[in-house]
Amino acid sequence: MKVQVKNLRKEFGKTVAVDDISFSFDAGHIFGFVGPNGAGKTTTMRIISTIEEATQGDVLLNGISVCEEPELARRAVGYVPDTLPAHADITVHEYLDFYARAYGLRGKKRKQAVEAIEEFTNVAGIREKHLKALSKGMKQRVSLGRALVYDPDVLVLDEPAAGLDPRARVELRELLLLLAERKKAILISSHILTELTEICNGVVIIERGKILETGTIEDVIKKSKPRRIVAIRLLEGNYHQNPQLLKELLQTPFVENARDVANEIHFDLTGDESAACDILGGLIAKKYKIIEFRQTKANLEDIFMNVTKGGVQ
Amino acid sequence: MADSTSSILARCKSHCVNWREWEFNPIVIKELRQAVRSWAVTGMLMLFLTVLLITSLALLVGQSVRVNEDVQLGVSMFQAFVIILAGASMMFIPLYIGIRVAAERVESSHDLLYVSTLTPGRIIRGKLYCGAYMALLFFSACMPFMAFTNLMRGVDLPSVFFILLFLFLVVCAANQIAIFLACLPLSRPFKILLALGGLFLSFWLMGELIASASGMMGLGLGSMMASRNFWIAALTVLVAGLIVTGLFHVLSVALISPPSANRARLPRLYITIIWLLGGLLNVAWVIRVEDPTLIMVWTMATLIILIFALLVVISNADDLGKRVRRDIPANRLKRLLVFPYYNGAASGLVWVSGMAASTFIFAQLVLTFGGTWYPTHYGMRGADREEFTLCTATTIIYALAYALTARFIHRKFFPKRPPQIAGLLTILLISLVAIGPGIVLFFLNQLSWKSIDGLQLGNIFNIYSIHEPSQQWSHLYVAVGWLGLMLAINAGWFLKQWRNFQPLRSSASED
Ligand SMILES: Nc1ncnc2c1ncn2[C@@H]1O[C@H](COP(=O)(O)OP(=O)(O)OP(=O)(O)O)[C@@H](O)[C@H]1O
Ligand SMILES: [Mg+2]
Repeated sequence: MKVQVKNLRKEFGKTVAVDDISFSFDAGHIFGFVGPNGAGKTTTMRIISTIEEATQGDVLLNGISVCEEPELARRAVGYVPDTLPAHADITVHEYLDFYARAYGLRGKKRKQAVEAIEEFTNVAGIREKHLKALSKGMKQRVSLGRALVYDPDVLVLDEPAAGLDPRARVELRELLLLLAERKKAILISSHILTELTEICNGVVIIERGKILETGTIEDVIKKSKPRRIVAIRLLEGNYHQNPQLLKELLQTPFVENARDVANEIHFDLTGDESAACDILGGLIAKKYKIIEFRQTKANLEDIFMNVTKGGVQ
Repeated sequence: MADSTSSILARCKSHCVNWREWEFNPIVIKELRQAVRSWAVTGMLMLFLTVLLITSLALLVGQSVRVNEDVQLGVSMFQAFVIILAGASMMFIPLYIGIRVAAERVESSHDLLYVSTLTPGRIIRGKLYCGAYMALLFFSACMPFMAFTNLMRGVDLPSVFFILLFLFLVVCAANQIAIFLACLPLSRPFKILLALGGLFLSFWLMGELIASASGMMGLGLGSMMASRNFWIAALTVLVAGLIVTGLFHVLSVALISPPSANRARLPRLYITIIWLLGGLLNVAWVIRVEDPTLIMVWTMATLIILIFALLVVISNADDLGKRVRRDIPANRLKRLLVFPYYNGAASGLVWVSGMAASTFIFAQLVLTFGGTWYPTHYGMRGADREEFTLCTATTIIYALAYALTARFIHRKFFPKRPPQIAGLLTILLISLVAIGPGIVLFFLNQLSWKSIDGLQLGNIFNIYSIHEPSQQWSHLYVAVGWLGLMLAINAGWFLKQWRNFQPLRSSASED
């Protein structure tokens, strides 16, 4: 299963929610979808899940177009919305059973599928509870179960970790890894970026409907090199050398924006790691008493903060 | 068309082969489970049974107190039960079903029900079946009481069955209308208003039904059933009810279909078919009664439906999605034939004008030839015929001109706004021209009957309040001139829509 998002565009009246987005991911991959509020994540995911219709562009699920053949594409994708619709007077088990029926599972097969999903998402204990009476975390599980009950190849999760307690988050992560092992293509959006670092194979960062960065996590980290920050600390008592060091650094290649931060010198490294090595060698040769030369490791959070501008439309 | 029939055949075949695996419509299962758990349904059923019990006790006690025996006790008890049953099932069930559908539609931005692999038709049918099962529940709860009345004199079994069956069908029709109202894309306050309106309507309908039922029982329904005319009348009512219910069904399905689907096809096709059948039926009637003027019934009914359809059609969006364009035929002639049955305002206008023109021509043919074939029964004077012809023609031409004007205004001044504006504008323009002059005259203190009865060119309602043929002719000239002007202004837009009406592949290769 391969999911290809091609030049997707969605307008709501004058707002352009999604603006010419393209990316793709494969079976067995977990793909992160990151962006500030109102970036267009939910909109994109709803288009992939055939709930919303694109203004332009297309999404192909193994070659099946969601614009042209939504009925067919629908079978292949399970969507977990950020909130579960509140149906009155129905229990968890009946809800899951209904969706199994709606997707054409019959007789014994349906019974088995529903029970397996209840086991898998750990809702077997609350299957007789009313849907309206569930807590946020339970709803999230039921919602995941609903999307999985007809065994789709693509799973689209919209902020599944929001509102979960730490234990539930770890469990969710394990569930997702298990699903990836079962060769499902998973797209997951989240605000909690550090979580994605551990489980995602790739990420897309979008803002105001436009893609800012895309690729594997390592790629994105590498690409954000220009923003890598290096901190230098001189041996205590040698702080008087700081202004001189600053001047020195400003003339060095691959260094930008050198500044004095609480007795440390910080600068943005625009080159790769060997450039950092050369800089350090140069400084030591010039008899600076350097006691610390460290690179702050960029994680998704930093990349996110660096790449996005915080604009809201 | 051939494709769809063959696919239906294939579906039937697979149904027959897999009968063992046949299962209920999932919606029915879900709705019934929810209904069983719902306090509203349980409470209503309890209330219903209590009222039935109290009523029968009261009637029996009243009877035993009275000295001379009421020979009609069975009838009066039965009537009381029918009133209670009708009240419970005609008010409560459609309301319950409608509220459930509306609730799911409000959440539809989130609700995945409408994007499951269930087709829109299946969803609506599921809701309808659920309503029917609930009605059966209420009816069967009432059964023991009804059977009891049978022990007494005055009630015969066929009448009981006939009345109950009729009531059941009416409840199903009311359910369908409730579903339709719930599917309308309106905000909650409007829907509450609609629900209130619907309740009043069903209250009124209930009164009528009970009055006619007891009237018939008083006349001896059992003996009436022997006559042929009774069955013809019953059948006519049944068919008319089915047609109307079917129309609401088709419209509901179209409403919950995704915007990218060819939503226009089913309703337009349905209306075309009932229009055709209705026309044939009307001609049969004309021949039987030997009075060609009866064709006016069909003509007027068509006119009313077409004007409503025009308001909907003018509010359609222009651009066809990939999904719709996928099954546009490549052949030019075929394309021309199916064009009126695809989404879009332009195609809709073609459809409405085509229907209107055919109706008009057909009615004129019937009137002309009918007049020579049945001269003795021809009940229409030449002047009447002229008036009828002028009025119908002018009305539809005005309506088309107004709609095109509204569409033009929408395109020129609010192109970014949704096309529903065009429909609203049409109504607005019509009412503005109709009452605007009156209001101005009122403020000038010059309003009089004469000014209302006088000629007001452009006012669609004015056609029916003047009787001077020369004035009617001038109305027609104005309408035709205006429509011609609007056609000229909109010609570019129209041609563009036709040019865009292309199958997906060929346009892809052009790019
Ligand atoms: N139904 C709608 N009608 C009008 N505008 C909409 C609609 N849905 C989304 N938008 C707009 O589209 C843009 C993207 O919204 P979207 O919900 O996709 O953002 P998001 O990335 O999911 O944000 P969040 O992180 O807050 O969930 C927003 O500007 C929003 O206002
Ligand atoms: Mg969102």
